[in-house]
Amino acid sequence: MKLTLYIWRQKNAADKGHMEKYQLNDVMEDMSFLEMLDVLNEDLILKGKEPVAFDHDCREGICGACSLTINGVPHGPEKATTTCQLHMRKFKDGDSIYIEPFRAKAFPVIKDLVVDRSAFDRIMQAGGFIGVSTGNAPDAHSVPVSKKNADLAMDAAACIGCGACVAACPNAAAMLFVAAKVSQFALLPQGQPERKKRVLSMVSQMQKEGFGACTNFYECEAVCPKQVSVRFIAKMNRDYLCSRVTEAVEV
Amino acid sequence: MILINYLKSTILSKFVMAVTGIILVLFIIGHCIGNMQLFIGRESFNSYAYFLQERIGELLWIMRIGLILSLIFHVVTSIRLKFLNLGAKPKKYEVKNYVKAKLTSRTMIWTGIMIFAFVTYHILQFTTGTIYPGDYNRTDYYTTNAMSVKKLGSDECCTKSREATAKDAIINYRGNQYETAGNHPIISERHDAYGMVIHGFRRPIVAILYIIGMILLGFHLNHAIQSAFQTLGYNNPKYFNKIVVGSTVLSTLIVLCFISLPITIIFGLVGGGV
Ligand code: HEM
Ligand code: FES
Repeated sequence: MKLTLYIWRQKNAADKGHMEKYQLNDVMEDMSFLEMLDVLNEDLILKGKEPVAFDHDCREGICGACSLTINGVPHGPEKATTTCQLHMRKFKDGDSIYIEPFRAKAFPVIKDLVVDRSAFDRIMQAGGFIGVSTGNAPDAHSVPVSKKNADLAMDAAACIGCGACVAACPNAAAMLFVAAKVSQFALLPQGQPERKKRVLSMVSQMQKEGFGACTNFYECEAVCPKQVSVRFIAKMNRDYLCSRVTEAVEV
Repeated sequence: MILINYLKSTILSKFVMAVTGIILVLFIIGHCIGNMQLFIGRESFNSYAYFLQERIGELLWIMRIGLILSLIFHVVTSIRLKFLNLGAKPKKYEVKNYVKAKLTSRTMIWTGIMIFAFVTYHILQFTTGTIYPGDYNRTDYYTTNAMSVKKLGSDECCTKSREATAKDAIINYRGNQYETAGNHPIISERHDAYGMVIHGFRRPIVAILYIIGMILLGFHLNHAIQSAFQTLGYNNPKYFNKIVVGSTVLSTLIVLCFISLPITIIFGLVGGGV
């Protein structure tokens, strides 16, 4: 199939950047989106041009490294699918595809389509862990967890931290990411001792990083490749409001 | 500055948006139901207006101050959040496709600002009488037998009580809606809120302005009501869908209720005798 690509090119963080047009004439529909970009890059390298930089790692939808806003939707048109798992059969011969980096002040562009998402790491460092060594995996049933909470905690833990929620949000809010990371612990017994401190410090770090506020557009949930629900945001709001009132520690 | 410290936290800011928003929504529901008395008639509407203005005493000002404070906090917080959010996404996409964000949710600040302008106009017209003093300064004369007087048990409700002549009554009651002055002596007067609304809405420009204002309010509330539940942490898979539907139903009902007044009045279906 023939495709016209419009790709964001930006030499480095300081460069202004612009959209550039590329023509691809023999894209196979079994290629993944990233393989299609690989083909483009091989072509560019042969022509002695600078290949397009983009993030990727596992290419099987579990690491959260791939990004890309494709035709205005982070991770492209297919629901619950990362860019690396998106296949070209979702597009038609003759299509124009606009490819842009994830946009947010807290995700500065490093080069072309690669953005710096280390703001998420710093939010995790602020409280996205259990503060003591818990040893090896405990025996099954030694710590009772209700089936409902175990399932919910798994739903939250499905977050791969790709940042699509931020990219999709008109406010560049990171609420879905932070809510997922807060909730995976808040739902389990191991998370209880640090529960209040955790939500306060992670939310506080989220704001320091320059993410926006939530307007309940629910756009994050719509693009999340792991279908994390905005219900976790409601849950985090509840936790946060309650902790602001009851937690003695100043955060 | 403890009062505005909450602005430092986006979640607390949203909490303030939701709580002040709900206070305003509750007021609007009450206002809407109160307005429906216009369809019962002049007597009912004016005695209701009189009740609010003169009979509840300090409560009126407590309510007014509560509402004004809610509106101020709501507006200040929303503007501060808007600037924060614009700053968090300095570079927009060349191409943007929304999957779930609706027109209503993306235009909250704009519908909000227009509602604020509308509310200012509304108060200047119907509360202070600054815009059409002629409409505002109307008097309603009524008899001891008027329904509101009967209900309240006496005519003591009427502080502005005075001896009026039967001639006043004939001038003011061309429609002959109550018993004639001959049967029951006219004794009192009060602000003719009914006449004010009817004459106000007979001006096409005013009627249109109100209809537009209320549709904007409907847009705002369509997103706002369910959003407040989410912000306050009430989102449960069992009933959240119903809250979203309820938000649309309630906001639509509010709009229909409010715009039924200018529409029926401009077409002469209500208030023909005034
Ligand atoms: C009578 C009037 C009004 C009512 C009943 C009302 C009600 C509400 C409610 C219930 C919310 C939901 C809060 C939430 O998302 O948690 C809301 C949100 C909002 N309101 Fe209003 N509002 C009114 C007037 C205004 C005005 C005058 C403005 C602005 C200048 C405004 C701007 C906003 C904005 C921007 C939001 C969304 C905030 C966000 O999610 O970030 N509203 N409103
Ligand atoms: S590359 Fe790992 S999720 Fe896409």
